[in-house]
Amino acid sequence: MPADGPVLDVAGLNAAYGEAKVLFGIDLCVAPRQIVACIGRNGAGKTTLLRCICGFVKPLSGVVRSHGSDLIGLAPYDVAKSGVKYVPQDKKVFYDLTVRENLELGSYASGDRNWEPALNYFPKLKVHMDRKAGYMSGGERQMLMIARALLGNPRLLLIDEPTEGLAPGIVSHLREVFTDIARKTSLVIVEQNLPLVCAIADVVYAIRDGRVAAMFSQRSEMSFQTFEKFL
Amino acid sequence: MTAAKSLASRALSWWWGIAATLLATSLCAVLLPTPFMNEVMIFAIYVSGCNFLIGRLGFISFGQPAYLAIGAYCTAFYLFYVGTNPLVGLGVGVLGGLLGAIIIGPFFVRLRSDYFAMVNLALAVVLFYVTQKLLVSITGGDNGLWFLTQMQSTPLLDLTAPAQFLWFAIIVATAVTVMFKYLDGTIFGACCLASRLNEDKLQFIGYDNFKIRLVAFIIANTVTALAGAMYAIYFGFVSPEMGSPSRAAEPVIVTLLGGVGTLAGPLIGAFAYTGMKDVISNLIGNWELFIGFLLVFIMLVADQGIWGTLPPAARALLVHLRRAAGRARN
Repeated sequence: MPADGPVLDVAGLNAAYGEAKVLFGIDLCVAPRQIVACIGRNGAGKTTLLRCICGFVKPLSGVVRSHGSDLIGLAPYDVAKSGVKYVPQDKKVFYDLTVRENLELGSYASGDRNWEPALNYFPKLKVHMDRKAGYMSGGERQMLMIARALLGNPRLLLIDEPTEGLAPGIVSHLREVFTDIARKTSLVIVEQNLPLVCAIADVVYAIRDGRVAAMFSQRSEMSFQTFEKFL
Repeated sequence: MTAAKSLASRALSWWWGIAATLLATSLCAVLLPTPFMNEVMIFAIYVSGCNFLIGRLGFISFGQPAYLAIGAYCTAFYLFYVGTNPLVGLGVGVLGGLLGAIIIGPFFVRLRSDYFAMVNLALAVVLFYVTQKLLVSITGGDNGLWFLTQMQSTPLLDLTAPAQFLWFAIIVATAVTVMFKYLDGTIFGACCLASRLNEDKLQFIGYDNFKIRLVAFIIANTVTALAGAMYAIYFGFVSPEMGSPSRAAEPVIVTLLGGVGTLAGPLIGAFAYTGMKDVISNLIGNWELFIGFLLVFIMLVADQGIWGTLPPAARALLVHLRRAAGRARN
């Protein structure tokens, strides 16, 4: 697989659910070790964008490349195997499986038996290894999903609304974790939590009605007041 | 020493349930009538396949009689037309079921659970028609194929003798249970369960949901065909009635009755269902109606099935009694 080019290059992406068009020519670029945030109102098309990238929604047209390889047309499991992992919004882990079994699933699929780096981000999981994931709190489930996605050292993580409904303490922990993860792995985070976006994002895309309304890459441009206009 | 102890305790925790079930079944084999026990054991194997489909994949199939008939007819064809060794006949039946599942599976497992249930029922109807009307010259139509007296005795356990067949059936049922218990502890078992819980998420992690479903489908229906082959050998006879679509709900009902997804569920369900049929049909004329009401009652009272309800209830009672004893001491 060619290692050159951006970790993610989305160009002119159009997508629809049946007759309803949702994305209109989205362009987005993610460089190595970069944290890219997508902000916007509910229904703006942020989740659809992530689902197009990870192969769950077939776009009408456009380009999705990772390190020069085309991702369009790949099945979701092949996209995951190529190193682009998706952590969905709903925090629904496999609730009948234990934490260990959830991690084993990720481990076996990625061929990565070393859980230490992923578990070091979330030491709390080590205590609950034999607990059924369904009995964990929302924050712990989010930790488990991120830890599982980190197995196999993906080159890109797509994380949908990671802090939604979580306690402030966990949000601040996740903030540190995302900054740490970005030393090796690029991140695309769909997020409405503007303080978090301001604190960690290198680039912010504001999405409105399925289009990129604005793109911010300078620290000086990133402020709560600027982003609030897009929510 | 500690490692050996931990290994021993793991092995014990793995085997004790199987050993206890085997012991209880053997005891029943000695105490209860042989024909009844034979039916229970084969029925338990039959239901095991259905239990795996529902409990692990979340797929209800109303076409299990079709896979049962495939196994039974393959065995019958061998024993009627080709050879006389029931063990070879059993192998042919299992192989037929395996091939059938490999051919049918790729088309069926793509479907959603509700369509999967219906398309399997359609398959059972087609197969019933084929065995009853279309291939009468080969299947014997409604008269079926008789080969009871053609079968030769087998060494160690003579499958032509019902009393010895029972021990063979117990061994096979135990082997099937051990296989499903082993699968439960593997990544494949976890994938099956994960596929039932959320198939999209399984793909996010990097698994091909189709392949997982297909392998599970093949395993479940090969086990069902094994039960069909055993029925054929035990009765020495097959007829289209064995795969009749009118009996399509039976394995599903017994799976629910025993406890969906539990290892002991198929055996408990088969015991309860066959027992109810045997006892009640001796006492009442319209026994089907009574059993229907009884099943509705059991499922309303215990929606987790017998094995999904009784052990947790017993544990809760034990905890309650211990607490009561503790309070009395204080």
